[in-house]
Amino acid sequence: MFDSPEEVIEQLDAQDYICDKNIATVVFLASKLEKPVLVEGPAGVGKTELAKVVSAATGRPMIRLQCYEGLDEAKALYEWEYSKQLLYTQILKEKFAEAMAGATTVKDAADRVGQEDSVFFSDRFIVPRPLLRAIQSEQPSLLLIDEVDKSDPEFEAFLLEVLSDFQVTVPEIGTLEAYHKPIVFLTSNDAREMSDALKRRCLHLYIDFPNEELEVKILDKKVEGIDRRLAEELVGVMQRLRKLDLKKTPSISETLDWARALLALNATELDEDLVRETLNVILKYEGDIKKTQAELGRLITRKVEEGGEAKAGEGAKAADEPKPAKKGVLH
Amino acid sequence: MQQKIVDFTNLLRKSGIRVSVAESIDAFTALDELSLGDREVFKDALRTTMVKRSEDIATFNQMFDLYWSAFYDGLRNSFDQASDEMEGDFDLEQMMQALQQGMQGMQGDQELDLSELAKALLTQDLDKLEQLIREAAEGAGVERIENMLQLGFFTRRTMEQMDAEGAGDQLRSLAQQLREAGMGEAEADALLELIDKFLEALRKSVRNYTERQLQQQNFDYMEKFRRESLLEKSFYNLTEDEIKKMREVVVRLAQRIKNVLSVRKRRLKKGKLDLHTMLRRNMAHGGVPFDLIFKQRRKERPKLVILCDVSSSVANVSRFMLQFVYSLQECFTKIRAFVFVSELGEVTPIFKDKDINDAIEKALDGGDVINVYTRSNFGFAFHHFWQNFLSSIDNKTTVLILGDARNNYNDPRAWCLRDIHNKAKDMVWLNPESPSAWGFGDSVMDKYLPHTDVAEECRNLKQLSRVVDRLVL
Repeated sequence: MFDSPEEVIEQLDAQDYICDKNIATVVFLASKLEKPVLVEGPAGVGKTELAKVVSAATGRPMIRLQCYEGLDEAKALYEWEYSKQLLYTQILKEKFAEAMAGATTVKDAADRVGQEDSVFFSDRFIVPRPLLRAIQSEQPSLLLIDEVDKSDPEFEAFLLEVLSDFQVTVPEIGTLEAYHKPIVFLTSNDAREMSDALKRRCLHLYIDFPNEELEVKILDKKVEGIDRRLAEELVGVMQRLRKLDLKKTPSISETLDWARALLALNATELDEDLVRETLNVILKYEGDIKKTQAELGRLITRKVEEGGEAKAGEGAKAADEPKPAKKGVLH
Repeated sequence: MQQKIVDFTNLLRKSGIRVSVAESIDAFTALDELSLGDREVFKDALRTTMVKRSEDIATFNQMFDLYWSAFYDGLRNSFDQASDEMEGDFDLEQMMQALQQGMQGMQGDQELDLSELAKALLTQDLDKLEQLIREAAEGAGVERIENMLQLGFFTRRTMEQMDAEGAGDQLRSLAQQLREAGMGEAEADALLELIDKFLEALRKSVRNYTERQLQQQNFDYMEKFRRESLLEKSFYNLTEDEIKKMREVVVRLAQRIKNVLSVRKRRLKKGKLDLHTMLRRNMAHGGVPFDLIFKQRRKERPKLVILCDVSSSVANVSRFMLQFVYSLQECFTKIRAFVFVSELGEVTPIFKDKDINDAIEKALDGGDVINVYTRSNFGFAFHHFWQNFLSSIDNKTTVLILGDARNNYNDPRAWCLRDIHNKAKDMVWLNPESPSAWGFGDSVMDKYLPHTDVAEECRNLKQLSRVVDRLVL
């Protein structure tokens, strides 16, 4: 799969996912040690995306389990298909009658039915849910347990069996073991702290907001046709925005949305009016927007001062070789 | 190397990061899979296997630098410096080659007996040196170091432990032998000088190591102190900085209470059979009700009326109480907040259109409704409440009063409180003073006490969270 962290960076890069060494090391170790990875970090920094691109890079199909309050075994692990069982009983009624023919006592009849027990509690009537599917999958797969912090503490408890031994116990059948150990990603937004038992079984990865350089790179890769200078200006504003005390700090996905919005508006540079009008793309709370609008002057003026010099220098560079930069964007 | 990782794990444990045995084994397996050439990768591998809480990452980074990088770098620096300091056109490599040749030539007739330390010094085997220093330091008991004054002592003991003197002598006699075996005079002098320099570098490194140990000890101490104290530190003496940190702690505590609450809710007694949902759910079974669904009996969420004394003596208690309550807003049907010193004013609207932290600061300033620069007068405030807001209290309302009941010898008017108490579901009084001080001096707590259901000392976050927990239960 992967032979070194560097290879992880390369292969994920080919999938348009830019990651730093930290992420790469953890992904590499996860594939080598066959341990699940618990990915934490603020919303929108690409936790779920990481699982997706690893699935694409390794060619493993992704099986996703979205957690929510009240998620239980029946929805996550497996469920008996009552209606199908019922239907089969109806259809096979005569067969039963045959099997029972000759039974003299009730006990005898019950024993005979008992012998056929395994017909009704077999793979045939089990509806596999994501966890069981990941374990029974014929080809190696990738299991994504999304927002595991939203699930109940009880759910965590039976995740433990799956995560440490990659097996599922179905009382009527027995223990089902994985043909191939899946790569497992668990993502968490820190809504509640996961239990130590769960954490102990996982590798831990914390993805934070990217630094300026990385974010420009990501913009370059993800938003086709964005001007380098606009990208830098935009990222500068975002980085400063994150330092404000906001209810919901905008993350990478917001940066991408904003960049796309600005492109759609044919903007080539940021000015105060434009930012004010498009602020609702990146900020999701009325209070945050008001607060930012008050600070807007500061956010922008500082940028213009910096930008003034940068522009002069960059203008010359752009005139010299605008092509290579573009090329990098396009391919 | 293994020993070093085990040591490092212990260090992490001491600084409050929980690392289980399974996790440190994971760290070993992880390191087996990686090439250790890249320090970043090494660090990430240790972190991902041993540190599982994002809050601990900062501590880990600090400890990592303290333990791994800094010392080795220091070692290399001082040895580089040692060879740099050699004067003239001295070439270390040339010298080493000459040394090698000389030693090979000698080995035939004279028995060479160098200690490990001397060998390591001579070949500049820094890894070996580091290991030797660590072992010697352990032997000298450096981890017991407590203050700056002991630096010299432990440095000396460590040097003695690894017999640096002896190694120096051996090296010098080696140089002597080389000179006799026909090495150039100038070269031999240079070698002697180099040996001195190396010994000095070694001494520096040992001292460096001792200092680092001291830092680690202090770090453990400070870290533990920081963790424990914020929860238990009295609200009276918080610095500006701590107030900020405390805010985060309150947010986390509130979150925890919410989580616990969701579990409690689910364990509440089940109500009547829910026919609608049951039919819908059991469609898959051909309408045969396999699963019985019951209606959840909802627990009534309380209404809350808070009366906050915002005079400077209890301002901090009020601050965190307000933050707590408003972080848990969804646990109450309605919250009304009043502040008083002697006048009483409602600050509920401020919380509607302002960010919670701003709102709290504003409320503590009196919120434009009251004058905060007066002397506390509980009686007057309660009377005011009794006159104007008594009607807002019903049998679902919990009244929460924060104050030290230091009434400046004014009339306590306890009968106002009695009337409020009679109408309300619950009356909770939080007092930052300890119960033994209640009723002494100008405190009128004893007069108010009969009209409260619960009166608690509330001086730190731990006590506060206990009270809040009971409120929402």
